[in-house]
Amino acid sequence: MLRDITIGQYYPAESPIHKLDPRVKLFATLIYIIALFVFKGALGFGIITVGLVAMIAVSSVPLSYILKGLKSIVVILIITSLFNVVFTTGDIIFVKYGPFVISDAGIRNGIVIIFRLIYLIMGTSLMTLTTTPNQLTDGLERSMRHLAKIKFPVHAIAMMMSIALRFIPILIDETDKIMKAQMARGADFETGGLIKRAKAMVPLLVPLFVSAFRRADDLAMAMEARCYNGGVGRTKMNPLRYGKKDAIAYMIIFAFLAAVIVARILLPWPM
Amino acid sequence: MNIITAKQLVHEFIRRDEEGNVDSITTALDHVDLDVKPGEFIAILGHNGSGKSTLAKHINTLLAPDEGTLWVDEMDATLPENAIPIRRSAGMVFQNPDNQIIASVVEEDVAFGPENLGVASADIRERVRTSLKSVGMSKYRNHSPNKLSGGQKQRVAIAGVVAMEPKCIVFDEPTAMLDPNGRREVIATAHKLNQKKGVTIILITHYMEEVVGADHVYVMDHGKIVMDGTPREIFSDIETCKHYRLDVPQSTLLADELRNAGLPLPKGVLTREELRDRLLDLFVDPVRRGQYYQQLNPVSFADRIPKHREYVTDKTKDIIVDHVSYEYSSGTAYRVKALDDVSLEIPRGQFVGIIGHTGSGKSTLISHLNGLLKATSGHIYVNGEDIYDEDYKIKDLRSKVGLVFQYPEHQLFETTNFKDVCFGPRNQGLDEKTVELRAFEALEQVGFPQELFDASPFDLSGGQKRRVAIAGVLAMHPEVLILDEPTAGLDPAGRDEILNLLARMHEEMKITIILVSHSMEDVAEYVDRIIVMNQGKAVYDGEPREVFKRYLELEQISLAAPQVTYLMHELQDSGMPVNPTATTVAEAAETIIAAFGA
Repeated sequence: MLRDITIGQYYPAESPIHKLDPRVKLFATLIYIIALFVFKGALGFGIITVGLVAMIAVSSVPLSYILKGLKSIVVILIITSLFNVVFTTGDIIFVKYGPFVISDAGIRNGIVIIFRLIYLIMGTSLMTLTTTPNQLTDGLERSMRHLAKIKFPVHAIAMMMSIALRFIPILIDETDKIMKAQMARGADFETGGLIKRAKAMVPLLVPLFVSAFRRADDLAMAMEARCYNGGVGRTKMNPLRYGKKDAIAYMIIFAFLAAVIVARILLPWPM
Repeated sequence: MNIITAKQLVHEFIRRDEEGNVDSITTALDHVDLDVKPGEFIAILGHNGSGKSTLAKHINTLLAPDEGTLWVDEMDATLPENAIPIRRSAGMVFQNPDNQIIASVVEEDVAFGPENLGVASADIRERVRTSLKSVGMSKYRNHSPNKLSGGQKQRVAIAGVVAMEPKCIVFDEPTAMLDPNGRREVIATAHKLNQKKGVTIILITHYMEEVVGADHVYVMDHGKIVMDGTPREIFSDIETCKHYRLDVPQSTLLADELRNAGLPLPKGVLTREELRDRLLDLFVDPVRRGQYYQQLNPVSFADRIPKHREYVTDKTKDIIVDHVSYEYSSGTAYRVKALDDVSLEIPRGQFVGIIGHTGSGKSTLISHLNGLLKATSGHIYVNGEDIYDEDYKIKDLRSKVGLVFQYPEHQLFETTNFKDVCFGPRNQGLDEKTVELRAFEALEQVGFPQELFDASPFDLSGGQKRRVAIAGVLAMHPEVLILDEPTAGLDPAGRDEILNLLARMHEEMKITIILVSHSMEDVAEYVDRIIVMNQGKAVYDGEPREVFKRYLELEQISLAAPQVTYLMHELQDSGMPVNPTATTVAEAAETIIAAFGA
């Protein structure tokens, strides 16, 4: 079950976007999200669309692969949009029933929110699609390293993330094994009501936790044996270093943000 | 100057109850002395709980001694400020390959140690490159560790230690969780590092055959060093080795049998080649050969040679696997044929061994027999009924065919052993009285002590836990008991206990037992029949001696026949009239002695 989720899973390729420094991609994603929520008007919308399409084209991730990720959130999209439609009042009211109204502004909002969410998912998943989990943790650690001065445990969090990434597949495998073993002892995970099913999880969860703790214990010892002593004094095999392409990318990002803001001021119509 | 000097080392594990009062004290190290010179290859042998891992952790300063002194690379290990420098010069490889790899990419994991030491980036890259090369894993540098075999993961872990450029590496039971291929890879890597790079090696293990190449061997028991000397000196004293629950290699055992029978063989024969040459020396002269035979003591091996049992096939009682194939990810480009047209008939009451290396399809096959996996094509009949029939109750099948998975103790979850065993029969819908009766019986059958019935399964030793897990399946009264690698991770004594238990259950309860293993030597003495799996096919199927006749073909699919089989064939090829189908030590001794009289 858990294995079927493909949204945002790394897609290996050799595109310019794949080769960018993860910090650039993190920053670009942040700017992209801001742009999505400040834009107003068809022009701004057009700029963002052009930006997103261009990024997808350059990334060499197939569009179908990105769209497949959207499938899992279709229900959320529809519900959010529906709420916007029926709860927004506007100048022209088409239908009114109790607290529900359908107005011109409502319909407009409903459409805009759908696009905003779809663009949001597509844009952010583009980052995880083109960045390996390790690069991502690395980028986060470096981007937030100034927070360490105010005693924010940046390194510890980054280390926790990379260990989690390493052990998730192992624990999924283990869950599968324990499940089979208990099924062989007649356990039934599939039928029965909610309470019965929750009870049936005990023989699965207890061994899983025991195993996770045992692994954590072993891993801590192995890390200590390899001189791990927190983040102080650590070096990196491949430290992040900005190149020329990263500088260009930063310029494009700022230009993009500026264009969206200018469009909002000049032509805030019709949305 | 020694690299490691331990004097009168003592370490105690103190267990406290909830109020903080001392519950029990276990002396894990009891006045241990150890001297290791630079460049030596040292082995420490001992059964589980003998204190050998505790000693290893001291060398790496993961544990601190309660008494005594310990110097590692001229640094006092009792001072906390020396911890990091000592860990830098004495690295450590642990038992579980999964739980010591930190990163999700091989080369990043190898870089972890040097990164912690603050080595410059360019140097780290160079160290990662050379250390992966020294363990032969260069081409996997960008792989995820999850996709590697156990032996490969363990080699990555070794590379991770090598990258820190230590003077000494402590291997803490590095092969306990590996299959025979992985074990060979790891031991060969340790020897290579010792010879080529001059790294001091301390190998901790419970397999005697792994210490043959060591310079010096220590044997530990109850926290004390009880034997020490060269491998030959240690192997000379088989009785003492057995007393300390060590696993003596077949060739050494056979040499000892023959010497006791009166053949003039020296003590402490280490390898098969050595025994072969010595035997041929004695045999070569026909006159002397006859004299040796005259002087032999009358020893009978007959009662120790397993009797061949006959089983009648009966379609209404057997398990029949009829042209079964199984594909993973069927219908996609990634499909893997895990089973490829397998047909078998297993008569009621037979003791069957299914042998194959990791990934040969043996575990997939047994998952079919109790319906956990459904064949892509083919049929399976149990007691004459097709288990894929629409009205067949798969839940009934699960109680008829009991399946004990690898490391079954990992599935224990209840607060007491007794309650855990009740889980299976309760799921069968039996009334509470019957459930408890069944649990009681099952725990008795596996020889579990009554006073521990109400203890927590998490407080037991590995071997005891495994007994409880097997009882958990036995309590469902299966007609067929399938066990997947029931001896994995146990020490030799624990392994023999479990195998003897199964043999006894087979004898007394008359149930069919199917034993899945990657070790020929382990099962050869116990089973009636061996089925060899390779690449999803059942390639050989027959009595052990019949299957072992194919020892050369077996080697090609990286399975080894018992040492004795090789020896018998080599002797026969050199002109000694022995019966080459001998598989056990007793059989081999009998036919060798007969050859001297011929």
